[in-house]
Amino acid sequence: MSIVRDYMMRSMNSVSSDDLIEDVIRYMYKSELSVLPVVDNQNKFIGTIYSNNVLKNIIPEQFGFIESHRIFYEVNQAVENLNDIRDDMVENYMSKNTDAVNENDDMNKIADIMLHNKESLLFVVNDEGYLRGYISRADLLHFLLDEAKKN
Amino acid sequence: MITTVTLNPSIDREYFVDSNEIMKNQFIYSDEDLKVYPGGKGLLTAINLKKLAYPNVQNIGFVGGKQGLFFEKMVQEYKVITNYIYTDSEIRNNVKIIGKNPFSYTQYNDYTHKVEKNDVADLIKRYKRGIVESKIVVIAGSIPEGVGFDIYKILIDIAHNMDKKVYLQASGEALKLALSAEPEFVTPYFKHHKSILDKEMKSKKYYIKAGREIQDRGVEYVMIPFHCDRLLFDADGRVYKLTPDDYCIINWLGASDAYNAAFLDYVYQNGFDFLEANRHGGAAALWIAENREVVLNNGDDFKHCLRRLHIEELEV
Repeated sequence: MSIVRDYMMRSMNSVSSDDLIEDVIRYMYKSELSVLPVVDNQNKFIGTIYSNNVLKNIIPEQFGFIESHRIFYEVNQAVENLNDIRDDMVENYMSKNTDAVNENDDMNKIADIMLHNKESLLFVVNDEGYLRGYISRADLLHFLLDEAKKN
Repeated sequence: MITTVTLNPSIDREYFVDSNEIMKNQFIYSDEDLKVYPGGKGLLTAINLKKLAYPNVQNIGFVGGKQGLFFEKMVQEYKVITNYIYTDSEIRNNVKIIGKNPFSYTQYNDYTHKVEKNDVADLIKRYKRGIVESKIVVIAGSIPEGVGFDIYKILIDIAHNMDKKVYLQASGEALKLALSAEPEFVTPYFKHHKSILDKEMKSKKYYIKAGREIQDRGVEYVMIPFHCDRLLFDADGRVYKLTPDDYCIINWLGASDAYNAAFLDYVYQNGFDFLEANRHGGAAALWIAENREVVLNNGDDFKHCLRRLHIEELEV
C-alpha cells in the first residue's frame, strides 16, 4: 500500500495568521505557489490562504468578464484596494477549514478527495497536527502512473 | 524531528576532465563526469541522518532565486523536510574541476548570495516555530552577506529558551559571538585561515589552548579537527585524541558532516557517551574519506571502520 509520505513534498513553507498580506504575496511569488498553509506558533496547521482570498478582495469583478474599456479602471482600482489591505493580517483573509491529510494516509484516499473537490494541492500533517508538507495533483498523477505500470 | 540549520547552502557542481588546462575548451559527454548536488554544512548532516533512517529531519535556511527552487527540489529527493526562506539573490554555485591525468583540483567558491533584513526577520520567525518538535538543533556552516555575525548567538538563545540543545559547527566571527550563548557542543572548522578565536593554530598546544578557551566561555563539549585526528574536550576537563589507523584518504568532502550525523545517531540510539559518540563520528568520517561518496549510504557500512579508531587521553 502506498501512503502519502511516499509521494508528498516535504516543505514547511508557510505563513502565520499574524503575517501581513504583503508578506503572503511575496512568499507566493518567490515560491511559485498560489496557496500556502497557515500555521500557529507551534507549527500546527490551522488553515489555508489562497491567492484568490486576496484577489477577490481587491478586484471588483474578479470572477466576471471585464469589458476592455474598463480594464484600466479595474487595474487602478485593484491597486488602490491592494494598498488598503496589504498591511492587514492573514487571519482576516485565510480559509479556516483545517482539512488536511495525514502523512500515513493511503494514496487511494487522496485520489478520492482530490477527484471530488477543486483543491490543486492538499496540506499534509502528522498525527499531532504538525505541518509536514503538501501533496499536489501532479503527485497524485505520479502515484497513479506507478500503479498503472504495476498492472 | 531533528533540525539542522544551513544559512549559506550551495549548489555544488563537479566537472571531471582528462586534464585541466587553461585556454582549452573542455567537452563533457558522460554524466559520470558531471555531478550536481546540494551542498552546505548542516544540510549534508541532515542528508546523512536520513541515510541513517531517521524519519523526520528538516533543514532550515535561505535559498535564493530560481536556482534556489532547483536546489530545494534536489534536497527533496533525499526526503529531507525543507524549511527555507526564499531570497531575491540567487543561491551560491560552487564549481570544482577535477583533472584526472595529471591529477588536479581547482575550486571556485561562490560567496555572492545576499540576504535582506526582512529575510533574516522571516527566518527567525520561521525558526522559532520550526524547532518546536526538535530536541536538538544542529547549526553549521558559513553566513551569507547581509546576515549579522551574531545570528548564531540569536538562534542558540532561541533554542535554549525552548529547552533545546545545540550542536554548533562554525568558524571565525560567527563562532566567537555564538560562544556567549553557550551551545552544548562545538566543533570549529577552518575556512580561509587555520585560526580559532583569532589565534593561528601553529601546533597541538595551540589547539588545546583554543579548546580550553571555548570551554571557559561556557561550552560543555568541544571537538576540534587536528590534521586527521580530533581533539576531544570532555566536560570533566579531560582532553583526548581520536586517531584513525592505517587510512587512505581519497576524499575530504562530507567527512565532517558524516561525523556530526553519526555522533548524534550514537547519542539517540545509545544515550550520551561523549567518547563513544565521537568514535562513531570518526568511523563515519573515515568511511567517507576512503570512499568517493559525499554522504553515507546507510547506518552499517561505516561500522567496520570502528575498530581502526583509537582514543587516548592526553596529558595536558
